[in-house]
Amino acid sequence: MARSGIEIAKALVTLGLVLGATVVTLSGLDHLPAWLQGQPRGVRRLASIEEAERRLKARLFLPAYFPDTLRWPPSAVRYVGGDPSSVALLFDGSSGGLELVFAQTAGGSGPISPRVFPEASVLQRFPLAVGEGEGWLERVVGDDGAVWNEVTWLQRGERLALRGKGSVEQLIRMARSTRREGP
Amino acid sequence: MPAARWVDFVGQEIFHTFVAALVVEALVRLWRVREPQQRLALRLMVLGYSLLVLPAYFLLFPERAGEAFRDFRALFAAARWDEMGLLGVGLYRWWVGLFAAIGLLLFLMDLLPLLWGRRGGIPPESAALSPQAQAASAVLAELSAGMGVARPRLVFLAEGGPALFCAGARNPALVISRSAVDLLDRQELRAAVAHELAHLDRLDPSVSWVLMAGRAAMFFNPAFQVVARAMARDAEWRADERAAAGTGDRLALASGLLKLYRATAGRPPVPGRRNLPLAAALAEPLARARALDIEFRCRRLMQPAPAPVPFGALRLAATAASLSVLLFFVV
Repeated sequence: MARSGIEIAKALVTLGLVLGATVVTLSGLDHLPAWLQGQPRGVRRLASIEEAERRLKARLFLPAYFPDTLRWPPSAVRYVGGDPSSVALLFDGSSGGLELVFAQTAGGSGPISPRVFPEASVLQRFPLAVGEGEGWLERVVGDDGAVWNEVTWLQRGERLALRGKGSVEQLIRMARSTRREGP
Repeated sequence: MPAARWVDFVGQEIFHTFVAALVVEALVRLWRVREPQQRLALRLMVLGYSLLVLPAYFLLFPERAGEAFRDFRALFAAARWDEMGLLGVGLYRWWVGLFAAIGLLLFLMDLLPLLWGRRGGIPPESAALSPQAQAASAVLAELSAGMGVARPRLVFLAEGGPALFCAGARNPALVISRSAVDLLDRQELRAAVAHELAHLDRLDPSVSWVLMAGRAAMFFNPAFQVVARAMARDAEWRADERAAAGTGDRLALASGLLKLYRATAGRPPVPGRRNLPLAAALAEPLARARALDIEFRCRRLMQPAPAPVPFGALRLAATAASLSVLLFFVV
């Protein structure tokens, strides 16, 4: 009886080891493309705003006011699925380098995924009237160690955030001019 | 089903079968499964998964195709490789196309010679009641009774090179040539006939057609083709073991195998024989593979009959259940 138990245990341990090795290998293969592209797993790089809208089956919010110190179109469009999905548009400055990140949810007012809009340490926080309700103006330290200005607010049931290196006035003006065409 | 979903299905069939086959091969070695029936059962589980379980996942769990599943629940999402491209096509699609082409090649490598060899069907029986035919008939009658196998039709070939094989799904027959009877001594002939009777008793000719139908359905799946080939080899080993048990002479079977191999290596095929040589370009590697296969079978026959590993059914069930759960999260 005891010998049978040992035999079963050995067989199951072997099975567990083989399956464990399989899980580790599969997980590694799953993370490899994101690692090679230098971005978190699950984040998709999209070619354009239109592709993001096709994927979301909805129009994105975009600022009607767009300062000429920034380059249009965005240098990168990042998308992560979920409930809600999150999209981040990255804009370079006219002299090069990342100047502004415009992130938004699609399909809910839940938090914007940190995989497309990394969390930042808040230095200062002030209430701000933007869109339908109260938003926030913050000074934050980004993951690059630099101080950024950030405006976050809710608009038509979606959460939006602008994080930029430009002036606070410019950022607020962009936030207040944000619109979504269509439904 | 849209084209992207078909690509997804083909990709998952290929990848799932590949993973399942690797897991099973690792377990066969680590558990030291040498008994052919147990090896067959484990490999059949891989094919069964591919033919039944994965299509069921596609039908019953359409949410597996959704982005939410891929991003948050999947252990591995092959489509993630599509985010990297080559010549404007995602790596995932390249990968699916490449492996599907390999699968098709492996399938055709076995299908075309099979169709070519069946043009003549089973050769007609020679009416001459030569001493060799009488000897073959006597051995067949003795072994059929001794092994409890229904006596098949005997097709005796008076002409041509050494041949000894079974064929026919609906009307099974044992084909023996005069030169095979001349070549083998009585013990070797008994062992070789017992081997073919073991095939017929397990309905292996019919099973091989069912297996070929499965391979046709999975023509794009290289792992499926390789596992099916491995099962054919296991079926040979199983027939070897049954013949050795039936005649009580393992060495006679090994000796008969070697003699038949030496006498038939490089000869043109006998009509009706299933394992015909393939294309000329592949003749050399295939001849080497056949030689290795014969060598391996002889080595096995020089050792005592392998004992089944204990708790075979439990191992099989645990492997099937855990693989099904694991692969559910591979999309």
